[in-house]
Order: sequence, then structure tokens, then C-alpha cells
Amino acid sequence: MSTVLHTHTAPPAGVGQFNANGRKRRPVSEAGMRGRWWRFALILAVTAVVLVPIGAVVVLAVLPASASSTTGLTLENFSGVFEKTLASTWLANSLVVTLATVVVSVAVAAPAGYVLSRGKSKAVSGYSLLLFVMQSLPIITSVVPLFILFANLGLVDNLLGITIVYVASTMSVATWMMAAYFDSIPVSLEEASWIDGCSVFGSFLKVVLRNSLPGVLSTAIFAFLLAWNDYLVAIVFLRSNEIFTLPVGVQSFFQQNATDWGSVMALAVVMMVPPIFVFAALNKYFSVGGIGGSLAGR
Amino acid sequence: MTTVNSGLARARRGVAPGGSGRPSPSRTSLNRASKLHGQTSRTYFWLILPSVLLLVLINGYPLIYAGVQATHDGSLIDAGNFVGVDNFTSVLGSEAFWKAVQFTIVFTIVGVFGSWAVGLGLALLLRTRIPAGGLFKVLLLLPWVVPIVVSSTAWNWLVASPDSPTNKVFTALGLETPLFLADPTLAAITVCLFKVWVSFPFMMMMSAGALTSVDNTVYEAASMDGASRWQQFTGITLPLTARSTYISWILMTIFCVNDFPTIYLLTGGGPVDATTSLVVYAYRKVFQDFQTGPGVAVAFLMTITLVIVSTLLYRQIRKSSVE
Repeated sequence: MSTVLHTHTAPPAGVGQFNANGRKRRPVSEAGMRGRWWRFALILAVTAVVLVPIGAVVVLAVLPASASSTTGLTLENFSGVFEKTLASTWLANSLVVTLATVVVSVAVAAPAGYVLSRGKSKAVSGYSLLLFVMQSLPIITSVVPLFILFANLGLVDNLLGITIVYVASTMSVATWMMAAYFDSIPVSLEEASWIDGCSVFGSFLKVVLRNSLPGVLSTAIFAFLLAWNDYLVAIVFLRSNEIFTLPVGVQSFFQQNATDWGSVMALAVVMMVPPIFVFAALNKYFSVGGIGGSLAGR
Repeated sequence: MTTVNSGLARARRGVAPGGSGRPSPSRTSLNRASKLHGQTSRTYFWLILPSVLLLVLINGYPLIYAGVQATHDGSLIDAGNFVGVDNFTSVLGSEAFWKAVQFTIVFTIVGVFGSWAVGLGLALLLRTRIPAGGLFKVLLLLPWVVPIVVSSTAWNWLVASPDSPTNKVFTALGLETPLFLADPTLAAITVCLFKVWVSFPFMMMMSAGALTSVDNTVYEAASMDGASRWQQFTGITLPLTARSTYISWILMTIFCVNDFPTIYLLTGGGPVDATTSLVVYAYRKVFQDFQTGPGVAVAFLMTITLVIVSTLLYRQIRKSSVE
């Protein structure tokens, strides 16, 4: 700690001056600028390499097929893929399943997260441990028994069936995310509403949840990505072409037309646009950092 | 006086447990407080109930049923006969199982530390002031946001198709084209690299979150004392973010051990089972070989290991947060 104290007693000249607020003013030296451009070049290079596969998808999707007479960039791969496959059905299925998962998992995780955040009892911390254990289990263990159970209930090859599994598999992380956000809301807000005669549930709805939009959005994005991207559950539970969600549809199309890269990649673009769009729009709300604190905090 | 008065006033209206109001010792307010306390527990019960039901029905029940299946010789349609621990002994005695264990370990170690190293490095870079830093932050998250089905297709095209750029580069250099997904060792390396590519954004987000809590002045102080960049990294950055790093390792270990699509979509577990992890092994046993018993037995062994390990790790996390 002594090193910290040094800064306040003797800032060496040239390293940095402190203004009245004690905040450091950044000296923009030539060396500093050069360092900045080096880092910029480095991160530009890394980003470019990292994005090669994603760029390849987009480029291949808009290049005309070799058999086609079109030159230049084209959208014919997209129209072709929607004509010869059930892409529009798969897209609709994926949207329905994903939106249902998002709504239900927030609706279930928010109250549970609230109890985890405010409850102090042994039972609550026991439940937190249970969530952690459940999260760590391979989904394949429950998939086989669920398949048999769902077969009896008529939920195999059924969008409702996979939605239920998705909601269950978002539960742990979604609850932690909600709890982490509720932790940041002062209890005094609820106390004030209790004094005003509000019930515990009422204050949860009207005071806590109302002020938790970023937490809710963060959880929603997580649930969205999980449901939209899942492959394992979908491949096990969905059997017929018209019930497929996009991951299974894209994969089956890819296996049958592995050389028709234009069509495959057009379908891939259709599949990656919604998550990228959601993430780009709501990125500032999304934070996984809270999970750590939420895990350790109780 | 005013504080006492307002405290009493709040107590009279019945302040909830955990509130800062000081309840007066009068009977009525005590009754009200305990009534509200009862209401609190009751509300908590109803609030958490849907989550508990879901956990028990969709996660808990299948676990127990998996235990039943692991000790039977049935199939997906037929329950079969009780065979005791036969499935477990046959699985534990098979070479393929241990090969899968081996690959799972390699895959997990590379996946966790590879993605952590890349993620932390980028988080440190993005912490400094860089032109268009915000844009890079979003772009670098894309591998994690893009569905695995899409990215595995892209990787397939990049490394395994005849007209892929990697092939062209190798041919142009006059070299023989490496069989990235057909040679066992190369396929294993490619799958591990793919996992790092998919996972580093998550580690980057975790690291960035931890780094924001480190005060900049600590670094300034250290650099004035003549600490080198490396000394600052090992002496300040790592210790101050240790807890979050530890948690991110644990989460990533779980993600890697349980990962299915990253491996299955790129290689299907091949060539000659070189990239078959335990989950892929279990999946193929159940859904391709239709040996439900042994397949579930593998999943069950993983489950037991993970329950024990995760319970211990959870304790460890909590202990580290108390310190």
C-alpha cells in the first residue's frame, strides 16, 4: 500500500500531474501516441483474423454460384434457399421457440433471483448450490430420460417440448444474472414502499422489477442466445422437416448440399443475423461479469 | 430526537425485517413485524416456486431416471432388464471410453487456458485508449454470438473444402495441403483452436469486468516505483483479479467438459474417434449405436464427477469471497 501513498506525496515530473480533483491528466507524449497506434494496429490485426470465418460466410453468401450466369454480387442464393428449402418455416419455428424461451425464463428467473438476492436463510443458499450443481451437469444426461418422458406426453417433435427444455437449461445462469442485478438495487427502496403499505410481492413488482430493465434485458439476451443457438436439444427432439428450428435445418441442408456453398452460407447468414442484431442493439446492457459476483456473494 | 421519533413512527407502521427502522418494544408493532416477516417468507416461497418446480421436473427427475437407465439394458423405447453395474464395467473396460476421457481433458485444458489467455490479453489491450475501441469490443464478441452451426460451417469451408483459401495458400507455397479434419492429430488441434475461437469473447467479457474494478492509480504508482509492465501484470493485475479469474476458469471448465456442438458439428467426433469427447461418446452410444444403457452410464459417470467437483469448487468460491 505504501506505493499508493507515494503518488500523493511526490509525483515525479513528467509522469503525470494531478489536478485539483486528484484525477490524473494524461500526458499525450509522442511515445504515448506511438504506443497507442501500435496497440491499434495489433488489435486491428487480431480482429481481422478473428472475423475471417464470419466474413467468409457473408462473402460466399453474396457470390453467385458457379453455374449461374450472374456476375458481381447477388441475392439469388437467398431467394434460392427460401424457394427450395423450408427456410421460412425453420426461421418462424426458431423465432417462436426463442421468444417463448426468453419470456418464460425471465418470468421464472426474475422472482427466483429476487429471493436469492434478498433471502438470507439456509434454504436459499442451499438452492443456490443446487443451481450451481445443475448448471455443471451435462445436458446429455437429462436429454435421454426426457426424450422418453416427452415421447409419452407427445412432446417429441414438438416446439413446446424443446421450449420447456430451453427454459430449464437457462434457469441457473438467468437466476444468477437477475440476482446480481437485484443486488445492486438498495433495499431501502423496498422498505420505503413497505412503509407505504405495499406488500412484499407488490414492492418486488412495482419497485424492484421496474428499476431492473438492464438486468432483465441482460437475462433476456442470454436466454435468446441459448435458445437460438442450441443444437443438441433440437437434434434429439425434433424429427420432421417442418418442425425443425434453424440450427437443425441449416445443418441438414449443409449435409445434403456440402458443395453448394452459396446456398449453405445464405442460410447461415439468415441464421446469424438475428443474434447479431439483438446483440448490437442491446450490447450495452449485457454483462456476464455479474455472474461471478452472484456466485460468490451467497 | 427526530431520528428516534421517525424510527418509532416507522416501527409503528411495521417495518419489514432487515429494515433500518428500530421497532419499539410495544406489543402491537412486534405483532405487525412478525406478521410482515411471515408474509415475506410466504411471498419468497411463491416467488421461487416456479423455478424449483422446473428444476425438479426437468432437471431433477431425469437425473434419477438416468440412474435407472444406466443399470438397465434397455433402448429408447424399451426399459429392458436390470443388469446392475454391467453397463459401468463394460464402459470402464473399453478403450474408446478412456480415449474419450483423454481427449476431454486435453480439449478442456486448451479451451480454458487458451481462451483465457486470448481473452485477458484482448481485455488488457481494450482497456487502454485506442481509436474505435468500442467498435472492436463489439466485433470481438461476434465469435461467441454467432451460432455454432454457422461458425462450424465456416470453419469447415476454411480448412476442409477443396476450394478453401487455406488450401490455395498451401498449394501456392508448393506444400502439400494438410488434412485439417482428416488427420487425427491435426483434427484434434483444429477442434481445440475452434473452441478457443468460440470461447475467448466470454473470457474477454469476464476479464474486462474484473479489470474495471482495479484502480488505475495502482498502476501509476507501480510504474513510478520502476515496476516493469510484466511485473505490473504479475504483481497487480493477476492478484487483484484472481477471484474473478478463478470463477471464469471454473465456468469455462464446465462449458468445455459439457460441450457438444463445437466438436460434433466440426468433426462428428472423428477421424477414428480422435476428437470424441465424453459427451460426443455418450451421444453416439445412445443415438447412433442405440446402446442406451452404456451411453447413459457414461453421462452418469460424468454427472457424478461433476456434482462432486462442482460442490467442492462452489465451497471454494464462497470461501475465497469471504477472505
